[in-house]
Amino acid sequence: MALAEVEHLTFWYPDAERPALSDVSLTLEPGEVVAVLGPSGSGKSTLLRALAGLVPHFHGGRFEGRVVVAGMDTRRFRPADLAGALAMLFQDPENQVVFGRVANEVALGLENVGTSPGQIWPRAHTALAEVGAERLAERRTETLSAGELQRVCLAAVLSLEPKLLILDEPTSQLDPQGAVEILDVACELGAAVLVSEQRPALPLERCSRVLFVDGGAITLDSPRDDALARLPDDYVPRKPRALGEVPASGETLCRVEDVTFAYDSRPVLEGRSLTLQRGEIVALTGPNGVGKTTLAKVAAGLLEPDSGSVERVGRCCYLSQDPGRYLVKERVEDEAALAVGGDLDRARRALAEVGMAGFENRHPGDLSSGERERLALASVLVAEPDVLILDEPTRGVDPPRKAELASQLRRDAQRRATLVVTHDLLFAGDVADRVVSLTATEHVHA
Amino acid sequence: MSPVPAAVVLASLAAVALIADRAWVVATIATALLLLCLKAPRGRRWVYLVGTLASALSVFLLSPLVSHVGTHVIWEGPKIPVIGYLDVTSEEIAAAGIQALRLAAVGFAFAAYALLLDLDRLLQAAGFARRSVLAAGLATRLVPTLERDAAGFVEALRGRGVEVEGVRGRARLLSPLVAGSLERALNLAEAMEARGFGRVGRTRAPSAPWTRLDRLALVAAVLLVAGAIWL
Repeated sequence: MALAEVEHLTFWYPDAERPALSDVSLTLEPGEVVAVLGPSGSGKSTLLRALAGLVPHFHGGRFEGRVVVAGMDTRRFRPADLAGALAMLFQDPENQVVFGRVANEVALGLENVGTSPGQIWPRAHTALAEVGAERLAERRTETLSAGELQRVCLAAVLSLEPKLLILDEPTSQLDPQGAVEILDVACELGAAVLVSEQRPALPLERCSRVLFVDGGAITLDSPRDDALARLPDDYVPRKPRALGEVPASGETLCRVEDVTFAYDSRPVLEGRSLTLQRGEIVALTGPNGVGKTTLAKVAAGLLEPDSGSVERVGRCCYLSQDPGRYLVKERVEDEAALAVGGDLDRARRALAEVGMAGFENRHPGDLSSGERERLALASVLVAEPDVLILDEPTRGVDPPRKAELASQLRRDAQRRATLVVTHDLLFAGDVADRVVSLTATEHVHA
Repeated sequence: MSPVPAAVVLASLAAVALIADRAWVVATIATALLLLCLKAPRGRRWVYLVGTLASALSVFLLSPLVSHVGTHVIWEGPKIPVIGYLDVTSEEIAAAGIQALRLAAVGFAFAAYALLLDLDRLLQAAGFARRSVLAAGLATRLVPTLERDAAGFVEALRGRGVEVEGVRGRARLLSPLVAGSLERALNLAEAMEARGFGRVGRTRAPSAPWTRLDRLALVAAVLLVAGAIWL
């Protein structure tokens, strides 16, 4: 008997002109691992939410068709009733955490679904151990790194021992090793797993079946080997291009020498150095928590190092990894013009460069996540900086847009020195001239 | 110490500070609570401490100007419509001092509660009104979350070469902060529903049993309040 069935599902979000999902049908069998791929805004997340019952119960809108999970019709059963039979892990761990203490956070779902009190702590600690986070049990959630927090969120859903595990871009904040570990744990659970990812190689290595969603419809539903031959090129796994480590011989625009930095006496950088030359794109990689973002902020002048020196030539702009930070003004063009003293002509040109012509008068808060990412990029490119620092610019970005971004950065590379902080090694290989890899134990001098 | 007795001790210290009329008693409590707050991480504690100290200082500076107590005038100011004469007496300064100390003690007690107690365990200990207690816990976490969001907006602006200065500069962050909070609240509500929140038949994870120190702290808190009322 099928674990989940979706029959002719068509769904409109409230006030939407077009359906987010259009006549979607599929069946999920127990234990199968399914990769859900597709561009941003294609309907992947809506499909996952429909299986969890969040569509339509939480989001409202118009719902046609039928979704049945573990024998429960989602039109009659609320998401809270489905919890336990299925569990869903969302993209941003920051927006899932309720409690301040890790063990309590993991125990919350178990309490909600009525687990016997004597079983709650053992199951919570077992789930934490499964994701390699047992040592975090007594930590405060606000002190965890994004990677650690995502592990805790995964433990919270694994502790429910669901029959269907739904993962909506669960590794977007994780380094490659962390992402592999998280997906391995999830896929070895024995439950059916539905995983949506913007780094397709990760789920494609583990899945038995591939769904490709585009324009609200499933355009491909095939066993993996068959799908690999039919997927669009940007989604087919390939090896990252190997990068050298030797700096280019150009004008030095940013030199960070032997810097140290500590947050509340917790050392993050110790003796790190970095040089950026005009005309080159440097990828800064390394595991979660090693200090990549801190080093980038020190280079950008947003953090003052405790010791060491930083020299910059010309204007430097830093793109935060959260596009939600670029929503200060009421109109898109005003937001983009902030860095150039309100010069709307330059703002419009920058918006056009990132494919956002026509969006000038929209409210930034009304943009989709992909559009917000483009607005954030336009908001820093508008200043035509000599040093451009991009912190995780591909987080949650689909493969075609990544290729477009890489090509855009390469096209303008000669104008400036560019530093790209990234976990996405494929993107790093596509965009960068050389790589600086930070490790926890070594002091890297690039 | 378990969070329930710790919260009771903090509440009793705040109550004693409000009841006591000897300045040295209130000053001692305020100082002790301030020292306790200094155990919290520097990055989190400053907003509570600065807020409390600024409020206490405002009370100390303003209340002598608007109250009319005492006969020993040490400064005579102009007559202001509605308020009257802006004179300051030594009795008013003494009263303002003790009010400011009381406010500081209560503020530091709340800061210690928010910064140092395990609010989750407090929630677990509540056998009733769990939704209200959960809402209170989430509200307490709102301050550091907003603080982090504000820092993120300022950083993104500085990353574009835009400095945020003055009250006006910070005021323009208010709207995106509120919008961001609403978005976060929706995401959190969705995640909670997906994890079964609100389902009938929920259970409770067992709490750790109280230690002798917990019981002693509870008795000490009761004695403190009783002593303050008695004296």
